[in-house]
Amino acid sequence: MNHLRHIWSGLQTLVLLGALPMAAAQTLPATKKPVAPQTPWSFQPLKESPLPKVRNDKWPQTPLDHFLLAKMERAGVKPAAPADPRVLIRRLHLDLTGLPPTPEEVEAYVRASHGSPRSPESYKSTVEKLLASPHYGERWGRYWLDLARYVDETASWLEKTSGAHLYRDWVIKAFNDDMPYDQFVMRQIATDQMGFPPEDRHALGFLGLAPTYWKELQLPPDIIKGTVADEWEEHVDTLSRTFLGLTIACARCHDHKSDPITAADYYGIAGVFASVRHAEVPTMDDKFWQPVKKARESVAALEKERDELKKKKPAPADLTNQVAVIEQKIAGLKTNTPHFNMAMATGVEDAALFVIPAGNNKGTVLDFKPGQSRDLELMKRGDPNNTGDIVPRRFLAAFPAKDGQPRRFTTGSGRLELAQAIVQEAAPLTARVIVNRVWKFHFGRGIVDTPSEFGPSGEAPTHPELLDDLTVRFIRNGWSIKWLHREILLSAAWQQSSLAPDSEKRDPENKLFARVPRRRLDFEAWRDSVLATAGTLDRSFGGVATALTSDKNRRRTLYGTVNRHELEPMLRIHDFPDPAAHSASRTETATALQSLFSLNSPFLLAQADALAGRIEKEASAELPARITRAHALLYQRPPTAKELAMATRFLTGRETDAKAWSAYAQALLASNELAFVD
Amino acid sequence: MNWRLWIDMNLPITISRRDAIARFGGGLGTLGLMAALPGVATALPNAVASTKTLPHFRPRAKRVIHLFMNGGPFGPDFFDPKPDLTKFAGQRPAGADLRTERPTGGLLPVPFKFSNHGKSGLPVSDLLPLTARFTDDLCVLRSVHTDNPNHGPALLLMNNGTMTPRVPAMGAWCSYGLGTENASLPSYVVLCPGRPVRFSILWTSAFLPSQHGGTYINHSNLDPKAMIPWLHNPRTPAEEQRKQLDLLAEMNREHLASRGGTDAALQGRIEAMETAYRMQFAATDAFDISREPAAMRELYGKGHFANGCLMARRLAERGVRFIQVYYGNSQPWDTHNQHDEQTRKLGADIDRPIAALLGDLKQRGLLEDTLVVWGGEFGRTPVSENGNGRDHNPHGFCMFLAGGGARGGTSYGETDNFGFKAVENRMHIHDLHATLLHLLGVDHEKLTFRHAGRDFRLTDVHGNVAREILA
Repeated sequence: MNHLRHIWSGLQTLVLLGALPMAAAQTLPATKKPVAPQTPWSFQPLKESPLPKVRNDKWPQTPLDHFLLAKMERAGVKPAAPADPRVLIRRLHLDLTGLPPTPEEVEAYVRASHGSPRSPESYKSTVEKLLASPHYGERWGRYWLDLARYVDETASWLEKTSGAHLYRDWVIKAFNDDMPYDQFVMRQIATDQMGFPPEDRHALGFLGLAPTYWKELQLPPDIIKGTVADEWEEHVDTLSRTFLGLTIACARCHDHKSDPITAADYYGIAGVFASVRHAEVPTMDDKFWQPVKKARESVAALEKERDELKKKKPAPADLTNQVAVIEQKIAGLKTNTPHFNMAMATGVEDAALFVIPAGNNKGTVLDFKPGQSRDLELMKRGDPNNTGDIVPRRFLAAFPAKDGQPRRFTTGSGRLELAQAIVQEAAPLTARVIVNRVWKFHFGRGIVDTPSEFGPSGEAPTHPELLDDLTVRFIRNGWSIKWLHREILLSAAWQQSSLAPDSEKRDPENKLFARVPRRRLDFEAWRDSVLATAGTLDRSFGGVATALTSDKNRRRTLYGTVNRHELEPMLRIHDFPDPAAHSASRTETATALQSLFSLNSPFLLAQADALAGRIEKEASAELPARITRAHALLYQRPPTAKELAMATRFLTGRETDAKAWSAYAQALLASNELAFVD
Repeated sequence: MNWRLWIDMNLPITISRRDAIARFGGGLGTLGLMAALPGVATALPNAVASTKTLPHFRPRAKRVIHLFMNGGPFGPDFFDPKPDLTKFAGQRPAGADLRTERPTGGLLPVPFKFSNHGKSGLPVSDLLPLTARFTDDLCVLRSVHTDNPNHGPALLLMNNGTMTPRVPAMGAWCSYGLGTENASLPSYVVLCPGRPVRFSILWTSAFLPSQHGGTYINHSNLDPKAMIPWLHNPRTPAEEQRKQLDLLAEMNREHLASRGGTDAALQGRIEAMETAYRMQFAATDAFDISREPAAMRELYGKGHFANGCLMARRLAERGVRFIQVYYGNSQPWDTHNQHDEQTRKLGADIDRPIAALLGDLKQRGLLEDTLVVWGGEFGRTPVSENGNGRDHNPHGFCMFLAGGGARGGTSYGETDNFGFKAVENRMHIHDLHATLLHLLGVDHEKLTFRHAGRDFRLTDVHGNVAREILA
């Protein structure tokens, strides 16, 4: 009731509604739906607008603050107070690296800020320090891996993914190096056609790790064609949602009713994926690869020969000898061929796929034609057995090249041309999408809160001028993600407190950004925080994934094995997205299964022991000293008198009992304060 | 002990379902009380928003027990007698379309004898003598059909409503749409003594909030602590853990108060912690069939399927929304060789547990609002494969429904003279799903979730409710 009264009372509220187009739209009578597809806002060219005038001109720190404050002022909502330095330093560290600050880092920062919430110099230098930390790429790379439906392993009967970790590490490095985003996009689609050294083929994991589905070749082609078409659709879906924020895949079956995406657009792009095949690709120059390839083929042949020999009945008299000779040959090839164990990237290579009946008309053959490409026939209602005219491979008609026509894909599969079109013809959209993603990861809410749906079925931007202003300058600054981080992190808006009862009440969805919402840490940041505060975190970088279930696994969570076929329960229960599809943002649930993990898992029990041991080592024996140290490690602040009393009550009489200390440490690790960031 | 004897004995039933809910919900700390109330899920507010209007109309069933015969049984062995298989044994009669994917021979007769049962007089074969006593509760579907003759895609279509493995399972949809009756237990439980040939994708929440995904329980080990991850604390006694949780709850309340006192996400996590504490006992109880009287264990019989059925009844009684019992590891019903011999064994293995489950549910008054579903991902061919086996058949197969508002003592749809293709009242999997949701009070066109720019639903853009089978 309070809510209703609030909506309908007072002039101020009407002003607020005016400032919130989405909310306002719901209260007005529905306008007539347009019949013809309209060009969505996100397809329009970028517009620059002057910085809006604000009354409180002391508040803005970076240009984005002007846009936000102007709207807050129109709505009569004041920005929240600046966050306390201890809150801010925790937020900053977790935001950029996914790890909490150490007590020493916190105290140094608090000292430098002299008790005043705003201390531009030490804050700025902390931002720079964290952006330069290699842990930054681990945090932000993992966000990207959600979009790219990254996996380490899939079902054994599907295509290999042995080079998955190379892609993951490539992504981490790209973020750490601040690779210009347009390059980042293109290299994941077509680095092998851009003249980069072969080790950059790790980037092709974006395409190479796409889900594949089992194709039972005993079945007739009309069934297998459906499976193959589903794989192409997945490619188009992930590509378009990740880079363009568009859901083009629905156009497999029909033209979009509400935006200018047509079935022809879909098949124009799907043809690219009908012209590539999944491949384990070499990561060194041909002069090294060719001998390795030959040697590997010889080894495979020898191994086959050996295995057949062993199966032979009756066994040859000198079997042992014969086997030994073959194995010697194999060993020789392996040691004498330089780079025999060359890492293979999981990627793609150009090869057109035709699904044809097997010779005897029983079953199906997947006929890959290496180096060739194909245009697809339009499938009526998405049915590969009911086809229409051929659609030449090309980019979306809504984004024509300079000649007024959509770019045609004519070189090989057309991957490079597709990549170019994404960052050139569609640059305004592509850039808006990534700027909004970065914004959403920082603020918990996007300017467009449907980050992979910039079409008409997504949400409209709350601050369209702001999004365009940031995007224009992002492109001007060389598509630099780190530039964008600075713009956001140095803003007054991002440094606001999360405690803002007035804005919470009046703008519960935080569409005005008049506070920074309290946020739940995702599983990675939570588990990493537990390890870091317990003092057990293994900070080594990269390499092959290891099972999270292993008792010895103390590595950052993003290096834990992700299996598409059988997702580790630890990940599954903690809202880790299904790695079979692009995930734009994580759902957040609080379930009993998660709490059971906190209460009973060997992992948390071990970390509780470690934390208890750490507290004992780092603080003097008195209860208050130890409790204070624990709070500093976990929460970046001293305990309140009440907290001190609670903990004392829990521990009194068993101060020397290691089990009691471990139980206390576990409660701290399982607490809400560790799992949330203000 | 024979069946009749059990009915006559009128076994004492210790607790009713409602008692159970009251028992597990009460007296265990006020913070957790909300979460223990029927229908209150412990999700963050954004995770359950779209389901407030459910159910759409009065539900006939409140929960589902799906007995899944993975591999695919042959309908004419059980519920769909086809004398023409004997008449034309070994032949492929002219004009009959018996084209299959793999090489097959002539028609393979069914050696099992049929008789009519119950008031309805529905034919049931001698493979299921005990289950046949519940014929008047069975709604036999004879005309189900699916789209693909491979296990993987067919498993997906049956369980997830599409062959593309990227969408939520039907159990997840039900949990999402209807919430839970007992927040001390997962709302969707999958019992499988091993693993089917497609794995967790068959009970995934996909893009729905993760608490709606199936909790996979391998009940080949009957110790509840082995079935649910982290259910048991290896070292802390319950009393000490309660103390620890009291400290934690106090800290969390302090934290909550210092953050304005109303943050739903903080509250949700506090509640979940209390639910977890209770679940250690509730789940230990719910999944522990050793707590059943010996006579009841005997009644269900021995083996993984009997154990699964008994466990399913315990879970249904405690308000779990969707329970699946997979028959065995891998796909035991995939009888490409020695079909009759294998089917005889399989039939003997499912008959007693199914009869016991139906009788047990009925006696407890639970069959009324529990929908039991029996069937595989597809059927099998009337023609032989490898001489004495049967190949996959997606064109027409049998399932049955019981209880939960399905019309008992009826059969729906027909296959052709050989039990190969559904010809009358054809029921696609989408229609089956639409009908199941309807019985649960859900309009299958309205239970949607916005994802990737469009509204997804279990039945995609298809599905018709088979109104003839509604009681």
